[in-house]
Amino acid sequence: MPLTTPADPAILERLPDPVMVVSAGARDRPGERRIAFANAAARDTFRLKSEGQPLVSAIRHPKVLEAVEASLFDDAEHEVAYDAVGAQDRHWLVLSRPLGDGRAVIIFRDQTDARRSERLRADFLANASHELRTPLASLTGFIETLRGHAKDDPAARDHFLSIMHVQADRMARLIDDLLSLSRIELSEHIPPAGEVELGSAAADVISALAPQIEERQVTIDFTPPSAGVTVEGDRDQIVQVIQNLVDNAVKYTPPGGTVRVELADGQTPEAVTAPRVDGAARQSLLTPDHGADRYVAIRVTDEGPGVARQHLPRLSERFYRAPGQKSGERSGTGLGLAIVKHIMNRHRGGLAVESAEGEGAAFTAYFPAPS
Amino acid sequence: MSEHILRSFDEDLGQLTAEVARMGGLAEAQIADALDCVLRRDVRLAEKVKGGDRILDELDADIERKAIRVIALRQPMADDLRHAVAAMKISSNLERIGDLAKNIAKRSLVLAGSEAATPLSRSIDRLGRLVAARLKEVLDAYTGSDVDRAVAVWTRDEEIDSHYDSLFRELLTYMMGDTKMITPGAHLLFIAKNLERIGDHATNIAEIIHYELTGEPLGTDRPKVDSVTP
Repeated sequence: MPLTTPADPAILERLPDPVMVVSAGARDRPGERRIAFANAAARDTFRLKSEGQPLVSAIRHPKVLEAVEASLFDDAEHEVAYDAVGAQDRHWLVLSRPLGDGRAVIIFRDQTDARRSERLRADFLANASHELRTPLASLTGFIETLRGHAKDDPAARDHFLSIMHVQADRMARLIDDLLSLSRIELSEHIPPAGEVELGSAAADVISALAPQIEERQVTIDFTPPSAGVTVEGDRDQIVQVIQNLVDNAVKYTPPGGTVRVELADGQTPEAVTAPRVDGAARQSLLTPDHGADRYVAIRVTDEGPGVARQHLPRLSERFYRAPGQKSGERSGTGLGLAIVKHIMNRHRGGLAVESAEGEGAAFTAYFPAPS
Repeated sequence: MSEHILRSFDEDLGQLTAEVARMGGLAEAQIADALDCVLRRDVRLAEKVKGGDRILDELDADIERKAIRVIALRQPMADDLRHAVAAMKISSNLERIGDLAKNIAKRSLVLAGSEAATPLSRSIDRLGRLVAARLKEVLDAYTGSDVDRAVAVWTRDEEIDSHYDSLFRELLTYMMGDTKMITPGAHLLFIAKNLERIGDHATNIAEIIHYELTGEPLGTDRPKVDSVTP
């Protein structure tokens, strides 16, 4: 068979890159550009519903539309890079080529990986150097003090050494969290595979946190649901979500207090984000792009000082500390909620917080229910 | 014979939809470019945004003309009438969005003279991306004739307001802490306000889509959480 035999349509259909064939119509009626063919990847990415739907109902970006016009009417090949916004950002390189018969073929190449790696590396370096500077300066200061006037003072030596130890620990945890966040962001646009039963994941987290829970004299109120509550996801990451939420709750709850962990299945999008506490402010920290019919939610409620309404939107911002929040000696890295948000985003779920000052806070992480 | 006329009519309406969608795409690109201007203070990009705004104005006038023509010549009823009217109203909102994006780009050039703090630019960028995602969502709802998606946008209006509030406070804090920050801070406040208003226009578009598709207006009480302005 000669190498230039026209391709079997099944081959186009299976290509990983979205491919579309566009038909022209009249030159002065852009509304007549229609998608004559779209492979599975294109139908999926652009949520195409019907045959022959107008091109502009799937793609609006002016540069891409111009490129298609040029291919349809001026026999020109074009390449356009554009960014698609949304809960997941994607970077596309679009190749538009004339087919010569009043049609053009458009091929989309996903550049998200390459661009993302670059950006994450830069971000990581910037964050790391910025956040590590303070504890490092602190350590240097203490080292100088120990070599200087605290040289022969054993009590001062012990005191400073233990502070230095805390700082060094903090730096290590910071690097861990930054790396963790980087890793999560790299694969954020790739949906997770696997199934996780949330009840057992939560139970695992709670037993792993037993030492902290006991030390803080806090009670965990969690009843695993009788029927298993399963979602599609990466177990390690989901465990991390639950761990970060419960750990935070334990940190902020005073001794003798209770942290409540609840699981809810089959929630409608309205129910899962509905406010439950009178007088509390509700803020969505992450809203999923493509709504699912039903969600599975995990809600962690603490009895801490709560968060004022104006600070709620920034809670999941990395390194953000709401003013007035003291989380004791074992202070966090400031990345816990950012990590939760990015994992929930990868899982196409959402994150919301409900809180009133002086009344504690409740965080709800919700996953699309498996279809 | 009547079938031929009907087809023509559908094409005219379809043409309107396509033009609104194209205008929407241009407005989205303007916002993205304007946000880039804030981050990069790129003079040439700001000029591009100003040029793009003129095209948006032309498209608005064009869509209005075409919609009026359809109404006058075809005298459509019910759905089709609402569709033509909706196209005009949406295009008007998109034109305003374009103006706001152009103002953002222009202001970012003024900022070029002073060093605005990076965390502030990042907060503005974050608000900007929220707003851009909102507009994309509502335009997708329009091209997909998806009422539910439009309603979802309308319901989540408060999210942008909360972020705007928070950004407002952040800016005030910076300005109070350092007098050198007052001038750039004031410009950033205007930029933030423009972004918040773009968000409002996106919500308007959601209401228009709902009315077009169902014939019923969305509730009169839009969820609003803005503790900054009375």
